[in-house]
Amino acid sequence: MIRRLVAVLLVAASACAHAHKASDAYLALEVDGAAVEARVDIALRDLDRDLDLDADADDRLSWKEVRTRWPAIAALAREGIRLAADGRACHARDDDEPPALATHSDGRYAVLRLHWDCPAPISHLAVDYRLFARTDPTHRGIARVGRQGAATASQLAVLSPGAGAHRFTLPAAAVATSTASPAPVPVPADVPDAAPSAAAAAPADDAPAAFAGFVREGVHHILIGYDHILFLLSLLLPAVWIRERAPRGAAAWRPAADLRGALANVFKVVTAFTVAHSITLGLSVFDVVDPPSRWIESLIAASVVLAALNNLWPVIAEARWKLTFVFGLVHGFGFASALKDAGLAQGALVAPLVGFNLGVEIGQLCIVALVLPLAWSLRGTRTYRGAFAGGSLAIAAVAALWFVQRAFDLRLIAG
Amino acid sequence: MKRHATLLAAVVACLAGTVASARAESSALQIPQRDDEIVERLPAHVGDAAERRAARAAERAQRDALARHPDELGLALQAAHDALARGRLRGDPRELGVAEAAVAPWWSQPEPPPGVRLVRATVRQSQHEFAAALVDLDALLAAPAPLALRAQAELTRSAVQQVLGRYAEAEAGCRRLAGPDYAGLGAGVRLSGLACLAELASLQGRADAAAATLARLAGAPDAGSPATLAGAPAPAWLELMRAELAQRRGDPAAGALFAAALAGNPDVYTRCAYADWLLEERRAAEAVALLKGHEDADPVLLRLALAYRQLHGARHPLTVAATTTLGERFDAALLRGDRSHGREQSRYELDLRANARAALALARSNWAVQREPADALALVRCAHAARRDEAAAPVWAFLRESGGRDARLAAGGPAAAPFVPVAAAAAAPLAGSPS
Repeated sequence: MIRRLVAVLLVAASACAHAHKASDAYLALEVDGAAVEARVDIALRDLDRDLDLDADADDRLSWKEVRTRWPAIAALAREGIRLAADGRACHARDDDEPPALATHSDGRYAVLRLHWDCPAPISHLAVDYRLFARTDPTHRGIARVGRQGAATASQLAVLSPGAGAHRFTLPAAAVATSTASPAPVPVPADVPDAAPSAAAAAPADDAPAAFAGFVREGVHHILIGYDHILFLLSLLLPAVWIRERAPRGAAAWRPAADLRGALANVFKVVTAFTVAHSITLGLSVFDVVDPPSRWIESLIAASVVLAALNNLWPVIAEARWKLTFVFGLVHGFGFASALKDAGLAQGALVAPLVGFNLGVEIGQLCIVALVLPLAWSLRGTRTYRGAFAGGSLAIAAVAALWFVQRAFDLRLIAG
Repeated sequence: MKRHATLLAAVVACLAGTVASARAESSALQIPQRDDEIVERLPAHVGDAAERRAARAAERAQRDALARHPDELGLALQAAHDALARGRLRGDPRELGVAEAAVAPWWSQPEPPPGVRLVRATVRQSQHEFAAALVDLDALLAAPAPLALRAQAELTRSAVQQVLGRYAEAEAGCRRLAGPDYAGLGAGVRLSGLACLAELASLQGRADAAAATLARLAGAPDAGSPATLAGAPAPAWLELMRAELAQRRGDPAAGALFAAALAGNPDVYTRCAYADWLLEERRAAEAVALLKGHEDADPVLLRLALAYRQLHGARHPLTVAATTTLGERFDAALLRGDRSHGREQSRYELDLRANARAALALARSNWAVQREPADALALVRCAHAARRDEAAAPVWAFLRESGGRDARLAAGGPAAAPFVPVAAAAAAPLAGSPS
């Protein structure tokens, strides 16, 4: 008893010792006419508690231990999620997909594909969630419900097991269904219209503040990202010069005579960079592609090396915007990981994307505004020539070190 | 022109490779190829293989018995207590749910049996529902109940009051525990009461005397130590209390005390507290060794990310990976509407994301709920980093009133140099106590 007493003291004194990710399941329900398709991710750890998956009791789950119990897992899921459409129960069909897993932030989850057939095309869907109601009442089902292929955003709800059915009202389907569907029968009285979760409500409440926040993130990211700055610098340094082929054939840099040409140069470079990184930023944020960050960080470093070396031994002198475009694609992936780090709420992608990109452009223009006048006024001097060669060499050297440490996972210098 | 094309081709090939490998990684569904592939590690049981198997079998047997006889109070309470103990060790909030489920038949009763009331209070305070916990504890102590149960309730109530910064009320409870009311329960309860009084004294400006008292209670070989404990090693919780006090006093003896506490009770809280001290001492490599393998618990993952950052820098893949996972877990908590991680999340925003404003908002709302030294430290650091020192005024007012002092606060307080670059403040993970 004394030991327990002492243990209680400790638990109270460490009020937050339980700050561990709680038990969640993830449900994505797609309504298509009178049918519902769902993907349900349930933590293996939770399933083990209820189903004793760990047959050999070694505190580890092998794929065999999970796979062979799949029928029991599917039955538990079907039992724990019951659907009714417009007051009438839907019928669950067997899961015919092969067993599969997915990784979430706290471990592996079983992925189940469930199907229901409802009596008629659905306008109100009641989800009665009971998963783990008897073994862990703190468990929650994070559910997204929407029409298949619908442009309108899906609805989010946090389902408590055993709290009664949660009722979703679906936006009208594109195809008129009034002839087929009977008059909606009221759902039983024990259906609370649960308050929308705080998480779902938050983005709408302070949208302008959030947008400004993403703009700031964008500016911040480019101004603290030395690699992006050095990349831009490498491209801007030669913008106040033009490459001329001397009569003998050897090409050389010469100060540009007219400002308009230099500005056009800068404009092309900056625009190419913007367009390119916007493309990959978008692709990455919408999860079309999601390259591993180590590759991207390494490639960004490589792009800085190449841009700087291109100043010293020009391969592409006249149309540097093409070079910029290609490398800009890589930098866009880098921006995307920063944006994702900034905490993207799923579902609200466009505003953060636009805001962040705007911020990046502002930061970029600040750099141009700072460098260009200086470069222009000094373009004819020996100092500038020296700074150009020395600077490019230094940038290439630093970036090469970055490349090595990012690609080979070493620690040589800061950044 | 030809070289030109070659360069472009090389870059495009490089990009294409990146995209292809990305596709392979981003396919969320995984189907293992081999039956013997380990797809998940479960919370480990302690001991060798046979002991682990036995522990697991006992857990299953208990669950089955409870499923057959859900109305048997003794069985239910035992299962609930075991779940709470596992939760403490592993820091897994699922166990709070398991404890609640075990006493489900009584859980919603307005006047449940005293044992259930204690379980309910313990679960609620672990979920930061301090007011609800106090209601149950007050009721438990107002009505007749077995003496041992009352002692637990008294201790839990004092601890909750301490977290809330209500030191006078906490002290009254500890004094009762150390007094004649509970003398029948033996020297251990008296020891808890005395230690609890000493800790409260240390939070009110009497740190040196408190440290001496705790050392004496821990069995330093002098006449004052409780006779029944003479010769026995000091309990782990007492070493932890001494370690945390030494840390607040800036006493280097903290390290050895943390190590002793961890040896006696390797739970998540102690591990994180020790790691925090190591991070403050800039001994990140040791912190990594201490934390690795336990990162299932968010507080451990937070410290691991901070340790990687201290060792390898912010952009190192290990730091980035740990930070990203931690962010995902906070997102998941937000999704389910759980906002009880303010202390930790503010540290994540400040020290890992260099987002002082977000950190400050979290630290402020956290301070509105709980007032432990780590909460004070969090608010002071975040306010300073956000260049809004005035936001930490409630902390200084609280400390003036209670007389509290903390060596770690000296650096960030109003008396300190007025200007510390935000980046520098954010880059030095001073670290509070585990949250």
